[in-house]
Amino acid sequence: MADSVATPPASVIKPSRPMSEALLNDKWDRCLSSMLIRSAIGGGFGIMFTFILFRRRAWPVVLGTGIGLGRAIEECDNSFKNATAPSKDGLRVLRP
Amino acid sequence: MLRTSLVRSRAISKGAIAPVHRPQWLPAPRQPFPAVVGQRYYADVKKPDGIILPGSQSAKADTEDIPSPPITVDPRSNVEKETIQADNIPLTPPKPEDVTTKPLASSAPTPLPPMGTGTATVAPPAGGAPPPPPPAPKKKPRRFRQFLLTMMVLSALGYAGGVYYSLVSDNFHDFFTEYVPFGEDAVGYFEEREFRKRFPGKEIQTKLHEQVRGEHKVTIPSRAGMSWKVADKDEKKGSDLGSKGAHVSAVEPPKPASPDAHASKPEPAKPGAKESTPELRPESKPTPQAAEAPKPAPPAALIDNINIESATEPVVQDVVKIINTLITTINADNAGGKYANAVSSAKDQLQKVINDINTLKSTTSADAEKKIKNAHMEFDEAAKELARRMQNEMDSQEAQWRKEYEEERTKLSDAYKSKLESEIAATKDVYEATLKNQLLEKEIELQRQFAETVRSRVESERGGRLGKLENLTEGVKELEDLTQKWNSVLQANLKTQHLLVAVEAVKAKLETSPIPKPFVEELAALKEVAQDDAVVNAAIASIQPQAYQLGIPTSSQLIDRFRRVAAEVRKAALLPENAGVVSHVASQLLSKVMFKKNGLPVGDDVESVLTRAEILLEEGGLEEAAREVNALQGWAGVLARDWVGEVRRVCEVKQALDVISAEARLQSLLVE
Repeated sequence: MADSVATPPASVIKPSRPMSEALLNDKWDRCLSSMLIRSAIGGGFGIMFTFILFRRRAWPVVLGTGIGLGRAIEECDNSFKNATAPSKDGLRVLRP
Repeated sequence: MLRTSLVRSRAISKGAIAPVHRPQWLPAPRQPFPAVVGQRYYADVKKPDGIILPGSQSAKADTEDIPSPPITVDPRSNVEKETIQADNIPLTPPKPEDVTTKPLASSAPTPLPPMGTGTATVAPPAGGAPPPPPPAPKKKPRRFRQFLLTMMVLSALGYAGGVYYSLVSDNFHDFFTEYVPFGEDAVGYFEEREFRKRFPGKEIQTKLHEQVRGEHKVTIPSRAGMSWKVADKDEKKGSDLGSKGAHVSAVEPPKPASPDAHASKPEPAKPGAKESTPELRPESKPTPQAAEAPKPAPPAALIDNINIESATEPVVQDVVKIINTLITTINADNAGGKYANAVSSAKDQLQKVINDINTLKSTTSADAEKKIKNAHMEFDEAAKELARRMQNEMDSQEAQWRKEYEEERTKLSDAYKSKLESEIAATKDVYEATLKNQLLEKEIELQRQFAETVRSRVESERGGRLGKLENLTEGVKELEDLTQKWNSVLQANLKTQHLLVAVEAVKAKLETSPIPKPFVEELAALKEVAQDDAVVNAAIASIQPQAYQLGIPTSSQLIDRFRRVAAEVRKAALLPENAGVVSHVASQLLSKVMFKKNGLPVGDDVESVLTRAEILLEEGGLEEAAREVNALQGWAGVLARDWVGEVRRVCEVKQALDVISAEARLQSLLVE
């Protein structure tokens, strides 16, 4: 029991915040995963369209994956760009 | 006759009440036959069945009435009889005149009926005999009566009018009350009534004069008022000033004048009486008689009651009065001759009486003198006796008083003596008591003085010893203080030792553990030891709670982590500001082909900073390394933030521990 009581604080506090050196890697992970998923979704849609509408042409599939990929890259870029600036969560923004 | 007329009138009245309309339309057909006029009423009464149409009635009249005028008389009489019977009035037998005049009487009622129509019908009595007017013989007496009546009525009216008008106009009022007999009374009565009506509460004040009402009639005598006579001469006499002046000198000339003298005589007599006999009242009355005496001188002289001897005697005066009255009466009757002897004898008798009285007086006076003498003698003797007795009594009383006085004196002296003795005894007692008290006081005082002296000596001796004792106690106290000081020093030493030990414990804990461990207990112990040391408290407060709750990493751990962080930072070393995905990819790729620096490179770029920090860390310069890394900007700074925070925490703890240890050393130094 004593060990269980002693250990939780160390184990509890550690995962609450990610280490600062892992920040960039995390972002990369999320970007890649989103790229994969979105391209896959786009490709899927393209395949569906090729089968339903376009008589098994290839270009709708490419277009779909391209759209998904582009969307994912855009999101990733956005996340990278504003990361270094101190976060403004919980602060009120005064607009002119 | 009167009765019949009455009966008729009754019948008429009866008939008149029931059928009112009939007279209006019945008479029309009958007018040509006025003889039946009276009948119609009776017919109505008798036969009530008749609703008589005008035509039928006329036919009847033609058949019955007109052809036989003489019959009309009979039916009337019959009718009359019937009516009487119907009324059940017992009739007196009719007089021969009435019987004869019955037809006349029957016609007579015709003018009587009070109805207007009846009188109208009367005028042409065709069938009936000419009506001989019965009031004609009565007219003669009636004329006078009527005249009287009219006069009375007129006068009453006149009075009424006069009274009314007099109430209205003043002018007429004056006239009416002045000239019309009883007019004033009448007007006054009405005025009074009016007045009462207006003011019911007030007393009635008649406007009539008192003289008119017959009250308070004052008759003023004819001589009333002032006269032209001067009356100042006889002011003293007073009463009879108004009367004639002759009486003033009435006494001097002996007038035979009659009644005036009666009033005048008293005046001169009074002064005389007052001179001679002022004490007697009854004299004043007889004086007039005495003065009268000369008046009937020829018949018999009166007795002079003043000049008579022993006139002072009241008895004599009374007798004289009686005789004088007798004489005057006799004189008045002019029967002096008759009673002359009797009068003279009476006078003699009077003389005799007077003499008797005198003798009686003298004898009585002698007796009285004798008696007085005897009484004097007796009184003298009695007085002497009384004086003697008084002397005796006084002597006896004096003796008694003397004795009593002696007794009283002895008693008093005894009492005073006893009192004196008792008081002397009391004073003696008091004196002795006071003496005793004084003695006692003296004794007490002496004892007290003795006690005081003894005490003072004892105290002086004891004071010497006590002084030594006090010195000793002071020494002891000093020793105690010293020991206490030493104790405090020892305690402070102990405290510092404890502090040092605690600090060492914390340091050992931090250094010995391979993984970060919380050191809350050690820090709490340190705080307990330090108690209220401000410096220690401040130092402990400066440590972040996260540090002692989670523990701090050792230097080796820090270096290990720095190497990992440095690898990551190098990846992001080439990133520009607001770098997108492409730049990130480019920096990652390019960072692999970059050259690594060695030693202590100079420059602000990420590579040189990292190499410097690593070297510093390896040398043990935690602070400097942290300062170097903290200077990184952009993604490099962000990535190194955690490591910097950790290093800072460690540095804080170390600094605090250093401060506490320094403080402990300082305190240990201060104690000495």
